[in-house]
Amino acid sequence: MTGSAAALAKRETGIIGLDRMTGGGLPAAGGALILGRPAAGKTVLTLQLVAMALARGQAAIFVSFEESREQLLRNAAAFDWGRQLNDDANFALIDARPGAGAQIAGEFDLEGLLAAVGHCVERTGAEWVIFDGIDQLLRRHRDPLLAADQVHLLSSWCEERGLTLLLTGKLDHSELAPRHLDGVEFLLSTVLVLSTRLVASRLARRFRIAKYRGSAHTTDEVPMLIDAAGVHFPYSDETDPAPSSPAPVERISTGVDRLDEVLGGGLYRGSTTLISGKPGTAKTTLCGSFAAAAAARGEKVLFLSFDELQAPVTRNLATVGVDLNAPIRDGLVSFHAREAWSSLLEEHYFAIRRAVDQERPHCVVVDPASALFKVPGGEAAKVTVERLLSAFRKRGITTILTSLGSQDDPVSEATLSHASTLADTWLVLGFNVTAGERNRSISVVKSRGSSHSNQVRELMLSGDGIDLADVYEYGSEVLMGTARLQKQNEETFAGRLKALADAQRKRELEHQIQLSEAEAERLRLELAAQEQERATREAISDRYQLEVLQRRHSATLRSDRSSTGADPKTQRKSQK
Amino acid sequence: MSMGVEARSESRPRLILFVTGDAPRSLRAKANLAETLERLGIDPADVVEIDLTADPTQTLVYGIFATPALLRPKESGRSEILYGDLSEQKALERFLTLG
Repeated sequence: MTGSAAALAKRETGIIGLDRMTGGGLPAAGGALILGRPAAGKTVLTLQLVAMALARGQAAIFVSFEESREQLLRNAAAFDWGRQLNDDANFALIDARPGAGAQIAGEFDLEGLLAAVGHCVERTGAEWVIFDGIDQLLRRHRDPLLAADQVHLLSSWCEERGLTLLLTGKLDHSELAPRHLDGVEFLLSTVLVLSTRLVASRLARRFRIAKYRGSAHTTDEVPMLIDAAGVHFPYSDETDPAPSSPAPVERISTGVDRLDEVLGGGLYRGSTTLISGKPGTAKTTLCGSFAAAAAARGEKVLFLSFDELQAPVTRNLATVGVDLNAPIRDGLVSFHAREAWSSLLEEHYFAIRRAVDQERPHCVVVDPASALFKVPGGEAAKVTVERLLSAFRKRGITTILTSLGSQDDPVSEATLSHASTLADTWLVLGFNVTAGERNRSISVVKSRGSSHSNQVRELMLSGDGIDLADVYEYGSEVLMGTARLQKQNEETFAGRLKALADAQRKRELEHQIQLSEAEAERLRLELAAQEQERATREAISDRYQLEVLQRRHSATLRSDRSSTGADPKTQRKSQK
Repeated sequence: MSMGVEARSESRPRLILFVTGDAPRSLRAKANLAETLERLGIDPADVVEIDLTADPTQTLVYGIFATPALLRPKESGRSEILYGDLSEQKALERFLTLG
């Protein structure tokens, strides 16, 4: 029992999710009403509460108004805790079914029942009292108000004695008012409502705390599961450890060296990676490679495969050099195949969480996580995936999710778009179709905390393993496959032709240079000769002019002497 | 009407009235039954009264969880029960006369 004198005293139920939603359990003294339609799980829940109380050494009285002792014990035996109810001195099971053909002749009360229960409480020291299906008796009241008064009396009786009283009642079409017990929901401080609905023809159970006076509590309607272990509240049962701080900086391999290089050394431990792509783009192959690499490091891997069985997955991986059979045999890889359509979303969630708790893996693969969107109740898949990722992250698990896109969906990469916002790394696989050939491609859309190329690369699968091809850019395209090889050859050939042409051209130019240089030399010689000729010609011309002048002068002197009779030698000196 | 469970040991009683001390409905049931027995001329000795507050184990023995209750044991084990304070006279008379 928990709580202080001032606070409402509570009694733990032992069902983690229920204790969490009720803030510590049900009232330690007084009544709680559990309402629900048939098959909602009212009796199972109360029997489980009794079994868990007995397991803790507490005592309980179970009064059944609908089923016989044998029926109840037989039903309980279908659960793991069923044996707890057999031959336990702390347990009294009272068959209080009204006799067949019982008639009514006026008002009645439950004083006799309380006398019997009081006797059993005294004998066993019980803390729990359960009245299952009491409406079967109280509905015989002519006046419904009398039935409600009887319930109030029971609650007060238990409260005075410090007993936790659980009453189950049936719901009709109303949300809260129990059938045959009108108004009783107002008299009790705690009302729990179990409901059922059909989701894609599958029965889905829901739980809600409609009322819990004096106590903080979860008001949400949450899924409730019933399996061999009994009642579970899958989204409330789990206890997650505090996330590790600081974030790990260790890199772990994807199993593909070239991909590790592209990612800056591999994936961060504890990170989440989303691999999206259409069918056949090698998502599962990359998952297998990652799992095999983790196993090779001695780490445990939980491989959750939706819609594909272990044998074909491992066979297909073997064809590309990835061996998962050995690590599965060694217990390092735990392969869980699940059929998406076969369970409700909360059942898948619960199974995955339970597998994680059992296996305690270092790495988890969910392939494809997008399968959760097609399960019954898949509208809540988004939240479910987020819950899983959050749980894995807190446990330091390195996670790879795959998202299967549709061939017809051009934006198929966005199938798990919300998960991509949570993922640390997002790899997109696709096909590159050129020249009638389809080749796989891979690109890193994001990788938090890592410098990475945004280049689309070719993802190559062969018997030797998985590899990425070097980027081959051709204009604005990245060529892959045969087109890449063909283009590489064409480029090489064209390069060689160009080199030959360049050499030829060079030789031609060098030859022309030689010719030109020879011509220039010839012209220089010609010029020099011309210059020499010109100088000679000018010298001759000068001499000729001088001679002409001399002759003219001589003629002039002769003429003068003939006219004056002066000495010609003297006249030549004066002319100079 | 004889009082006390010990009356059962002598012979199988024809009727057993289960009450819980002085609870108002139990007191009303006793009065209504006594009046009807007298009116129908049935010997009150045919009725044994069991107070469940005094002996709660009888609740479990007879499987009587609503009180007051009038029980007619049968050899076959399929006992007939009339619940209530027996204020509905016709129902009580029918139970007493048809049994």
